[in-house]
Amino acid sequence: MTLYHFVGLGMVLFTIGAAGFFIRNNAVVLLLCIEIMLNAVNLIFASFARYLYGTEGQIFIFMIMTIAAAEAAVGLGIIIALYRSHKTLDMSLIKDLKG
Amino acid sequence: MIMETVIFWILSPLAVAAALAVVFFKRVVNGVMSLLAFMLTLAGLYVLMGAQLVAFFQVIVYVGAVLVLFAFVIMLLNLKDAPVQPFTSPAEVKAAIPAVLFAVGIAAFTWVALREGAFVKTAAQQPAPGIRQIALDLFTRHLLVFELTSVILFVAAVAAIVISRKEKDPS
Repeated sequence: MTLYHFVGLGMVLFTIGAAGFFIRNNAVVLLLCIEIMLNAVNLIFASFARYLYGTEGQIFIFMIMTIAAAEAAVGLGIIIALYRSHKTLDMSLIKDLKG
Repeated sequence: MIMETVIFWILSPLAVAAALAVVFFKRVVNGVMSLLAFMLTLAGLYVLMGAQLVAFFQVIVYVGAVLVLFAFVIMLLNLKDAPVQPFTSPAEVKAAIPAVLFAVGIAAFTWVALREGAFVKTAAQQPAPGIRQIALDLFTRHLLVFELTSVILFVAAVAAIVISRKEKDPS
């Protein structure tokens, strides 16, 4: 196993998450896609920590996990507020900010 | 070494399949369950890389907290009545093309940047850092990261309460 394998896998997962973010229009699925992207980045950090023999990559993973947890809490709060005010989670129907 | 390769080639297609399932499942509950499989597969990959601590945190934080939160919100909102939108209309697939192109660009840049490195083409020679080493680094040299995460969690907890509160609530 070389670094290329793990970085390549992380790239593929990030691409799936990023593409899914644009393809789907359900707000909860958008948050799930963000989680996929964050996890792909975590995987790349872990692989660099493994192949450069350092601890910094793993320490940064804790930071990203914290941010992911915070993002999930705030994002789901936003989704609840959105559902309360619009009665839908379809992002193609929520366009109050569209000029 | 052979075992490592076999486990990698078992786990990585599973991770990709689970990620694709999150994107392509129509119902959100199925997506959350696929994300559960994705997280557990990634925890297995972390163990494969010798990052056991990260694997523990992956299971505890993501599977134990974040995904439960997702499932809880889905149950709370009762999305059964919402119309299921087809997501493969040409316009939406076209919207994903920039994302894919961007990721391919990053991949090409990474390939060019890593090409000269000696460490990329060989398997890891030294053992992975243990939990003791990570803890020592986290609480001495990288203490700022630790403090920053606590502040982030505090701010996020307050923000989540403020956002999801009903507007007319006088308290």
